Amino acid sequence: MDEKEFIFLLQGLKWTLALTAIAFAGGIVSGLVVALARTSDSRTLARVTAGYISLFQGTPLLMQLFVVYYGLALAGLRLEAWQAVAIGFTLHASAYLGEIWRGSIEAVPRGQMEAAKALSLGYVSRMKDVILPQAIRISLPATVGFLVQLIKGTSLAAIVGFTELARAGGIISNQTFKPLLVYGVVGAMYFLICWPLSLLGTRLEHRLATATR
Amino acid sequence: MDFGPVIESFPRLLWGCVGTLGLALAGMALAIVIGIGGVVLRDSRRAIVRWLVISFVELIRNTPFLVQIYFIFFALPFVGIRINPTPTAIIALGVNGGAYAIEIIRGGVQSINKGQVEAGYALGLRKSQVFRLVILKPALRAIYPSLASQFILLTLTTSIASAVAAYELTSVAKQIENDSFRSFEVYGVVTLLYFIMSWIMMTFLNLIWSRCLNYPVK
Amino acid sequence: MRPYKFSELKRRHLLLGAAATIAMPMILTRSAFAVTPDELKKRGKIIVGIQGDNPPWGFVNSSGKQEGFDADITELYAKELGVTYEFVPLEVANRIPALTAGRVDVLFATMAMFPDRAKAVQFSKPYVANIITLIAPKATVIKTNEDMGKLSGIAVPRGSAQATQVKKNAPAGTNILELDGDAATIQAMLSGQVQAVGGNMFYKDKLNESKPDTYEDKLEFQRVYNGACTRLGEKEINASINAFIDKIKANGELAKPYAKWMKQPVPQFPESIEGVSFSAS
Repeated sequence: MDEKEFIFLLQGLKWTLALTAIAFAGGIVSGLVVALARTSDSRTLARVTAGYISLFQGTPLLMQLFVVYYGLALAGLRLEAWQAVAIGFTLHASAYLGEIWRGSIEAVPRGQMEAAKALSLGYVSRMKDVILPQAIRISLPATVGFLVQLIKGTSLAAIVGFTELARAGGIISNQTFKPLLVYGVVGAMYFLICWPLSLLGTRLEHRLATATR
Repeated sequence: MDFGPVIESFPRLLWGCVGTLGLALAGMALAIVIGIGGVVLRDSRRAIVRWLVISFVELIRNTPFLVQIYFIFFALPFVGIRINPTPTAIIALGVNGGAYAIEIIRGGVQSINKGQVEAGYALGLRKSQVFRLVILKPALRAIYPSLASQFILLTLTTSIASAVAAYELTSVAKQIENDSFRSFEVYGVVTLLYFIMSWIMMTFLNLIWSRCLNYPVK
Repeated sequence: MRPYKFSELKRRHLLLGAAATIAMPMILTRSAFAVTPDELKKRGKIIVGIQGDNPPWGFVNSSGKQEGFDADITELYAKELGVTYEFVPLEVANRIPALTAGRVDVLFATMAMFPDRAKAVQFSKPYVANIITLIAPKATVIKTNEDMGKLSGIAVPRGSAQATQVKKNAPAGTNILELDGDAATIQAMLSGQVQAVGGNMFYKDKLNESKPDTYEDKLEFQRVYNGACTRLGEKEINASINAFIDKIKANGELAKPYAKWMKQPVPQFPESIEGVSFSAS
């Protein structure tokens, strides 16, 4: 594999990282909304959100991408391929992050919520100043873990025909006829990005366990 | 929107579900075997064996499943290992699930307090009884939730095996989509089918939990 | 003015930021729907669906640039309209969905003309000929359709003309692998996962690049003609493309890419193909 082909792989990597960044940013914002809705006092809202979460957790990411990719077009929205795919990943992330943060919101000791209410803090202040800071800290290992899953998940955009790293690997493999080398390099690239994040997640988990002992 | 072609091909979709469940079961079985083997090897006295297991787990957990299955199907033949699509899918699912299973089972085994084992022997239990009642059953109880959700995750991952044309629901869906050009309708219905499958599995796994493993633990 | 501290972010700024993050993909939408040549000229750009991994028709070379016969035809058509062009490389199975969903204005994407496709998209007049074949190593014996049943497996790209042909002509029970594109199909042949592939007349050149003089066409299924595709009902652009194709046939401009990529003289094209109309009605 010569330099030109390696650079083609790097361009695929660039798209992988871009998709991940967009989906993670969008997922954080919408995931927060989902988590707050899921822990809301309104039982209907909590139930509907629980349904939304279980829909995304009970179906394959590949199907979610297909449905969003073809469904948005049917709904009349003319989007570029990367935009449709990014929306699909964002919705996926919103459900998973929403569920992770719901768990951590509920893991904050109940006394905190009661004390905040006793101090007559409004809902926004309760969440913003008391509950969420503690919940986010608890959720850090799982959130980092999900980020790794998201990076790996972007490889499925290849099946929709989007040229991120996995598909770039397929194209170069077809030009060099050396799939062992090419997929080895592609795997190494994913590994070099995901592994440090996984280690970070584990370290956060240990630090958290130590802190709460 | 026109759901006609989807409804016409519904029997094919149901057979695809059977394929999916078959792959999931076979993959999970292999994953558990690799998981148990990996846990045993992880505690080997030889550092190189431990290092190999750790590297295997880290490598599998930090690379995408799609790349792993591409590697097995398209690259391994170049070193003489050629495997058909469905066995490729089972092996890829088993290897992938196995890496996660090693960590899950290891956590469960480590959660068994040594004092429990010693107490078992002190009470005069035989070695096989100690293993079955003091180690295995409590460990199973500890890891069951994680292992169950891993199983459901594996079932959903089978959809990626369509990239090597293994026989499962997504492959069937793609064929129907190509013949009918009704992409959204086909994939919408198939998504619902996956949801129903995972819901049924979750209910079934919960049943096993409440009937066999839900005893009080201090 | 002192620097903003994070804790001083007002709620409404956060909400605005959140709304912007979610709305941004929508704002950046570039519409590609319901086009006429006049609209294209006003927009100044035509968005063309093309194949990304099917040489010599359409392929992305290792520098990332789109090349091929369809790319040259696109260039000529864009020059005719006086607009720039942008390629959207598509997988085999994704070509028609991308057009009907409005992601591209037109397909110059090795689209063989078949009646069932004509129900979903509007074809133009044919501009290039193709042969759908079965390719296998020279050593493998395949002389009739029945011989396909003796093979361990045949790979085809999903949704392609060769997929239809192999499924139609192979005996029942033949193991047919429908993979996600031309690249995967060729890789399946080269890795030995299958004993034959359904392809077009150029597959063997690609395969022989890796192992010279190993592969040949075994069976010829069909001679087909490719046309440009636009959406059903869009009369103006269909008429514009037909006029363009007539023009380049007459003045010899079609012969240049034909010689360069197809390595053949321009053949006689049929006046009509059963079940496929060349003009929007």
